[in-house]
Amino acid sequence: MLDHILSIIIFLPLFTSVVFGIFQVDVKVLKIGAFLSAAVTLILVAWLTFLFDPHATGMQFVEHAPWIKNSGISYYLGVDFLSLTVLLLITLLMPPLYLYMKHEERKGYWYNMMLLQTGVTGAVLSLDLVLFYLFWETMLLPIFIMIGKYGNGMHQYNAMKIVLMTILGSMSMLFSILYIGYMHFETVGTWSFALYDLTDIVFNAETSIFLAAGFLLAFVIKIPLVGFHTWMAPAYGSAPTPAVVIMSSIMAKLGIYGIWRFGFGLFEETLIYYMPIIAVLALVGLLYYAIRAITEDNLRKMFAYSSGSHLSLIALGLILTNIYGWSGSLYLIATHALASAGMFIMIGLVYKRFKTVHISELGGIASRAPKFTFFFAFFALSIAGLPGTGGFVAELLIIIGAFERNFWIGLFTATTMLAAMVYVFWMLQRTLFGPDNSTCQFTDLNTRELVMLLPLVIMLILTGIAPSLFTPMFEPQLSVFLESALHALGGVK
Amino acid sequence: MSPNAFYLLASLLFSIGLVGLVSRKNLFVLYMSIELMLSSVSLILATLSKVLGDAGGSVMSLLIIGVIAAEAAVFLAMIVNLYRAKKTLDSDRFTMLKEGEKND
Amino acid sequence: MINLIVILPFFSAFFMALVYLYNTKAKRYVFYTAVGVGTPVVMTILSFMLAYELLNGSQTIHGTLFKWINIGDFDISIAFMADRLSVAMISFITFIGTLIHIYAAGYMKEDDGYGKFFVYFNLFMGSMLLLVLADNPIMMFVGWELVGLCSYLLIGFYHQDAANIKASNKAFILNRVGDFGFIMAISLLFVALGEGGFTFDAIQANIGSVSHEMLTLIGFLLFLGSMGKSAQIPLYVWLPDAMAGPTPVSALIHAATMVTAGVYMVARYSFLYVEVPDVGLFIASIGAASALFAAIIASYQSDIKKILAYSTMSQLGYMFIAVGLGAYSAGIFHVFTHAFFKALLFMGAGAVIIALHHEQNIFKMGGLKKHLKVVYITMFIATLAISGIPPFAGFFSKDAILVAAFASEHYVIWGIATFTTGLTAFYMFRMLFTVFFANKKEVQHLTPIPKSMTQPLIVLAIGSVFAGFLGVNEAYGGSSWINTFLALPDTKLHVSHSSEYMLGALNVILGLMGMGLAYKLFAKETKEPQTNTLLKSIVINKFYVDEIYEFIIIKPLLFLSHLIAKVIDPKIFDGFINLNVWTYRKSGALFGKLQNGKVRYYALYILTGVSAMSFYILIKLGVM
Repeated sequence: MLDHILSIIIFLPLFTSVVFGIFQVDVKVLKIGAFLSAAVTLILVAWLTFLFDPHATGMQFVEHAPWIKNSGISYYLGVDFLSLTVLLLITLLMPPLYLYMKHEERKGYWYNMMLLQTGVTGAVLSLDLVLFYLFWETMLLPIFIMIGKYGNGMHQYNAMKIVLMTILGSMSMLFSILYIGYMHFETVGTWSFALYDLTDIVFNAETSIFLAAGFLLAFVIKIPLVGFHTWMAPAYGSAPTPAVVIMSSIMAKLGIYGIWRFGFGLFEETLIYYMPIIAVLALVGLLYYAIRAITEDNLRKMFAYSSGSHLSLIALGLILTNIYGWSGSLYLIATHALASAGMFIMIGLVYKRFKTVHISELGGIASRAPKFTFFFAFFALSIAGLPGTGGFVAELLIIIGAFERNFWIGLFTATTMLAAMVYVFWMLQRTLFGPDNSTCQFTDLNTRELVMLLPLVIMLILTGIAPSLFTPMFEPQLSVFLESALHALGGVK
Repeated sequence: MSPNAFYLLASLLFSIGLVGLVSRKNLFVLYMSIELMLSSVSLILATLSKVLGDAGGSVMSLLIIGVIAAEAAVFLAMIVNLYRAKKTLDSDRFTMLKEGEKND
Repeated sequence: MINLIVILPFFSAFFMALVYLYNTKAKRYVFYTAVGVGTPVVMTILSFMLAYELLNGSQTIHGTLFKWINIGDFDISIAFMADRLSVAMISFITFIGTLIHIYAAGYMKEDDGYGKFFVYFNLFMGSMLLLVLADNPIMMFVGWELVGLCSYLLIGFYHQDAANIKASNKAFILNRVGDFGFIMAISLLFVALGEGGFTFDAIQANIGSVSHEMLTLIGFLLFLGSMGKSAQIPLYVWLPDAMAGPTPVSALIHAATMVTAGVYMVARYSFLYVEVPDVGLFIASIGAASALFAAIIASYQSDIKKILAYSTMSQLGYMFIAVGLGAYSAGIFHVFTHAFFKALLFMGAGAVIIALHHEQNIFKMGGLKKHLKVVYITMFIATLAISGIPPFAGFFSKDAILVAAFASEHYVIWGIATFTTGLTAFYMFRMLFTVFFANKKEVQHLTPIPKSMTQPLIVLAIGSVFAGFLGVNEAYGGSSWINTFLALPDTKLHVSHSSEYMLGALNVILGLMGMGLAYKLFAKETKEPQTNTLLKSIVINKFYVDEIYEFIIIKPLLFLSHLIAKVIDPKIFDGFINLNVWTYRKSGALFGKLQNGKVRYYALYILTGVSAMSFYILIKLGVM
């Protein structure tokens, strides 16, 4: 069983949804099934983490089976520190989300979420390029349906927008993938799309730049970096809460994952060419999104922009290519996912009670619901990087990494301290505090909601107070990966 | 006699027929233009047959005349039907295969 | 033991928070008071024990909690260090803190959020101690930010009123602007010498390896943090607004402890600042300017707490003059004495406010001398102390600062500081006389003040009298005991005894003049200052600084945000995408036009196609 644990983790939700779909079960049974699949996956991933060896190099729990022999496409899975982080995040977030969705009667929600979990998990564990592409596309479909069918506002338009823009990136990535496979055939004589076979190919400079662009376009749109971002705010604003949580916490991080795994894995030398551009876009994006968020009235869109801002910071940390930048990025991936999920769930709870997510229609929650206020403020402050929460550790590491490179980059990166604070505090002022001008009853959090949110809070505090619990898990492998990346890059930027 | 004159005549006939086909709207004129083009081809075949001493050209020429006759029957029957349907001989009015909005 | 001092308040805050959130309506007065006030008492005892150990000649005491993070060279532990500087600080922080907690138990008694208040208050104590006792810059920064957070929570304590929330936002935001500089400084410091370890001891040992320019930059950026935290120009505008919080908050945080963190920081980094006296001069200049500026504004304010807020800013300016010019001990000494009389003044003001049913305008007060005897006497003592009248505490600490300024030959700074002394006496006695003397009409019914509020006042008054004796100069027969104890790298000054006497006398004369002028103008009858001349309206409106900030910073920021939302995002980025969409649509329509259903056109297309192919073939065949 251990040999195939990765496959089980990937396909269990899909399997559950297919089986339940074939038998057209009642929604109650479906809910239980979905929750069970998420719980079992979580247990499996926990077991996997327990068995994971931080000091081994290379992939672990590898499964390798040929799939389409003639074209060299294989079914190739494996996990390392990077995949494990994202894997843990998605698996950890699903049960609270299912708790949030407890009263959701529309079956489509449940099927889509399960499909989504499969897609994301598969993307993160694939080591074969075509397999990765398959899962990458699979992620998009449930999101499209969730926004397009169950969303609010101009949801059909926004669904089309996100899909078309993302697919533009995916298409260019597909082109690059196929071309790389072809080059492998040319140089070696057999077809193969497995990642480790392809890293040995030497490209000449111009081809390499174009190929890298194909991949990078897909990832840069996903993150999104400034300039490629116009799908984000409308999509986040129209999407239902479970979709939004996954989009912000997980899918955006997959853009980073892509650059990390494939940019640094396949295209190390070429990446130097793109680093300045990405760095500039990331720094600009940091401030651009934050400034934009200030006057946004819709809470979901405001935190869409916040998400963009922090993801730009993560991208910057990645580009810095030093131990602090990389550690900070990985840490921020984890902590921001948790904080962002918490925040969007809180916004969803506001919507459930008030039927609005517009700040101008809210106010005075603190007087009525102290527990709610605490959680809401806590998540907002985590996003702003308050010391004591994990976000601070991550931002600190990235700032130090930035200063290691260059004073000016450091200066601009440090502005992240200022950026989030303005919109977060003004938002808290208007939604939580002030006179009590709500018209309907605002009940405080009930037990189910507390249970749902508490793990997130605990994790955020733990990552803030005791990072040393977590760093030994990823630091060895990360250092090794960094060494090889630096070696390939040669000099410093 | 030089065959060039025949070639010239045939080209002339073909061009007239072509232009007529493209630029005229009247169904009868369309038909006549098509006939002209066919005639010119027939003329060329006959000329070439004589020039090259190959009897096949003449045979094809006669075949063409037979085909023209059959075609005339079909064509004229179509025109009669089209006229009955739309009461017009303007080829531009028959646009049901058109792309886009509702047509006639 | 040292670990316990810091952890205890965090645990008590956490524990009280759980109880509070479980049922926010329940009063539980006894529970919250016992835990909430008991904790600082324990902390005070522990602090005194640590101080005692160091007084007996122990070396610095260390304590480590656990390793915080270890990546690359970045190896930080949550660890504490009690050297003489920190032990001096924690002694008075915990002691005065306890007194204020007792006071708060009386002040906040009727409030619904009583439990929440003590959660925040204890959280603050923990954060402040973390800041002072940290043995590395990162932990100090964590404490630094957390006290900012507590300040935010406490200023906005009465959160139903939107104005209070605005004030707390302002405080946090301006603090963070300072923190932006602070974190840049820490990062630069780490990048420069992180390999050798990043505790204060390690940094001090390796400081020589850093270039002079880098040290200047770091020193400046660290001070940026102080500007925010200690309300100096230009980041001071949050302090007057912070008075919106309950008075115990103002007493503890905005008088005695949090705002002095900036001064403490400079003293802690004294090994760095001695290398860059230019930055020190800059610090001293800002201090002098802030001192004068705040004193001028205070002379025209009508709200009792705002007067005290500006007074704090002004006295902080003095502290920065001291540490800027290298007289670190003098600065810390003034922190110490100031804590006593400023906390006393705030607490007394709080008593007056409660007695008059939350009236805060001094011109609506008057003649309280007879009715609030204890408050009057204690505040009188405090006012004498702050005006620098011997033998009260303020005289010795201020004198030390002014002597240092004079001796360092920065006469402009000395001049400003000395003039401000007179001004300080003036506005402080103006306040005292207006509140307690001037015969207003009849005095309405006064709310009685609980003992828990008046007794701390007495203790602090005693402190204001005697605290000064810890740092008496040689000229006056003392041995500058506190300087020797602190063992900071003070610049050595050479001032003759006669100059010292003259300077001392000058200060006292100015103080008495200020007092006299205030007596003349305000003791008999008072009226609120009117904005009838241009100069007066500028000063009364606090030089319109808030409005200027609004104009230069807030409006452009909002404008930029709207610009992005309405123009850049939709027109440029979306515009580019929509351009593509438009192109596809139009091309589609164009191609659609080709299919018009007319036979002739199709015939034409055939003609065109066949001709093209024929041409191509003919050319290829070489015929044409």
